[in-house]
Amino acid sequence: MDFTEPANWRSIRAQAEEFIAEHVTRRVIENERRTGDGVDRVLTRKLGARGWVAPTWPVEDGGAGLDQFEAAVLLDTLRNGGVPTIGPGTTMLPANAIKATGSDELKGRILPGVTAGETLICLGYTEPAGGSDVFACATRSERDGDDWIVNGQKIFTTFAHVADYCFLLTRSQPGSAGTRGLTMLLVPLDSPGIEIRAVRTMGHERTNVVFYNDVRVADANRIGEAHQGFSVMRAALEAEQNVAPGSRTTRIAAHALEFARTQPGPDGAPLISDPLVRERLARMVMEAEVADLLGLRVAFLDTEGEKPGPVSALFGPESYVRASAAAMDIAGMSGLLDWTDPEVPVDGSMDAHYRSAVATTIYGGSSEVLRSLIVENRLGLPRSRPRR
Amino acid sequence: MDLRLSDEQRAVRETFAALFRKESTPQRVRIAESTGIDKALWQSYSQVEALGIGIPSDYGGADGGLLELALVAEEAGRRLAPIPIAETAAAARLLGRLGEKELLAPVLSGTNIVSLATRSTPLGDQLLVDGAIADALLAFDGKCLRYVTRPDGQPNIPRRNLGGLALARWDVHAKSHLLTDGQQARAQFAAALDDVRVLRAAALVGLAEEAVYIGSEYTKVRNAFGQPIGMYQAVAHPFADILSALDGAKLLVHKACWALDAEQDDGPALATMAFVFAAETAYQASQHSLHVHGGYGFTEEYDIQLYYRRAKAWAVAFADPRRELLVLADRRFGPALTGGH
Repeated sequence: MDFTEPANWRSIRAQAEEFIAEHVTRRVIENERRTGDGVDRVLTRKLGARGWVAPTWPVEDGGAGLDQFEAAVLLDTLRNGGVPTIGPGTTMLPANAIKATGSDELKGRILPGVTAGETLICLGYTEPAGGSDVFACATRSERDGDDWIVNGQKIFTTFAHVADYCFLLTRSQPGSAGTRGLTMLLVPLDSPGIEIRAVRTMGHERTNVVFYNDVRVADANRIGEAHQGFSVMRAALEAEQNVAPGSRTTRIAAHALEFARTQPGPDGAPLISDPLVRERLARMVMEAEVADLLGLRVAFLDTEGEKPGPVSALFGPESYVRASAAAMDIAGMSGLLDWTDPEVPVDGSMDAHYRSAVATTIYGGSSEVLRSLIVENRLGLPRSRPRR
Repeated sequence: MDLRLSDEQRAVRETFAALFRKESTPQRVRIAESTGIDKALWQSYSQVEALGIGIPSDYGGADGGLLELALVAEEAGRRLAPIPIAETAAAARLLGRLGEKELLAPVLSGTNIVSLATRSTPLGDQLLVDGAIADALLAFDGKCLRYVTRPDGQPNIPRRNLGGLALARWDVHAKSHLLTDGQQARAQFAAALDDVRVLRAAALVGLAEEAVYIGSEYTKVRNAFGQPIGMYQAVAHPFADILSALDGAKLLVHKACWALDAEQDDGPALATMAFVFAAETAYQASQHSLHVHGGYGFTEEYDIQLYYRRAKAWAVAFADPRRELLVLADRRFGPALTGGH
């Protein structure tokens, strides 16, 4: 057993840090905080030029030929350094599905743009009434000659307002239910009949509601077989659950420690000298270590072909939420200040973490869905959700 | 980077899993509650040369490191093996590091049980974790590390206690001789305590894993309101959080072993994390698993109560986990500045 960090991780981290130093200006960071776009087009092209949009793809396919660990190190470093990674990161889920199940023509038309950082694809899964029950999908698609006609509504389509395509889940067989009768379409977002409305989140992210009214989509933009959309989507969904959310708990632990070292407590002494603060910070670093180790193991087992169930996807975000609340308790009043305040400590990160953390136990698969999967897969407990 | 056990390590685990499955049955665990040890199991344990694991062969040991010992402790924990493992292994390794070949020989053969007094308060003030069964103790008083021989006439009946531990006090006037003192004594004692942290954590991981197994199996066969209770999410979902924590605790134990064996700077901090996290996880695992048994879990007849009692006893026999978080804080953030309050 050996937990030594391989030398190439250090060099990948160094390359990413060099990229950040050169390209991620304060303006880039503040622009993302103000817009909540989740993507910076110019920066994404620069990532693409290095093969970093699709880091695990072979170099000849536009990737960087990295393994799972190396890619995780790269993306963690970029994200922590202020590169908006939601756009390019999300794009890779449909890109992987297209690569696995798309037609040759579609692959040739779409994937080079994706790896170059030119083409962005958002996810059109969730509907207002759906939530975690993705396959309750009611958005309809109907074949008409060489086209499909799409009608319906999606919500939480993050960065739709800046993306080129939406990877859209549609119900193509009227009267079908659940995972049957679905078709995946790659819908150009400049098509007539699409209306995108902003939804602002308390985490300062922008997401969207997208309306589809008689939108015509060429059959050439179908991904996988008609009415077999479930298998196409499953590949992308599994990818999402297996992407370890990384070390957000480690990030907040570092920020909270910096806060405690630099800020006074209510009695004027440094927060870090208070045993009540020290105990909570110690718990934070302990849970961060666990979150990191579970994430590391996901990447490791993936290369080994073993599946421990989504324990990392459950523990990581849950520990992040706990830490974000504890950090706010420790920080007190000055932790409430937002990053635009001239006196804000640690760049407003206490406020930012507290605002963002709660969403992480929802968007990669809600904790409740993950818990059901874990007890079914690992303990063989009976399924609790009704079968359709 | 390699998170897998080696073939040899897997073999160690299998050997001890088989030994404890056979010789540490719930019935024998119950019987040993009044004596604090299953002597027949101790015999078998010595015969498979378990006592040399983690001790260099130069001193008559079987080589291997803390990780191999942790695998043994985990399997022992799974079956609640009523034999002393953590403090005795830490004491043996300490004797090895001090080059005390003569003191070590009867330990490795299983003739002498030598344990560790884990507090640095005066020996007479301590309730000793292996006090009823140990032939000698290594004790540190803040200055000197001593080898303390069991006083004559010391009763070998443990004080009745929650975890079936061999708890006893020793006479203050026990005979002893000096092993080392000063900085070396302090450093060696600290290293021994980290061994205890990791080995107690490993045992608690094994305990927790079996508790989850017992509890979750019960929820598949116990019906209420017309379906297995495992179908109710309120019953099932806590197991998911516990399994996540359990995987994490196991990884922490492994990483702590690797870091201590490789003398990494972060080893002591990781050992503390492993102890705290395993202690909390074992409590949650056994608590929920007992709870899902309903009233039956509370009866002596069911095994889960054996796990529930030891989950707490095995942890607090070393330390209050929250107090240990303050140790972790010292190790990760530097010592607390005093005088602020």
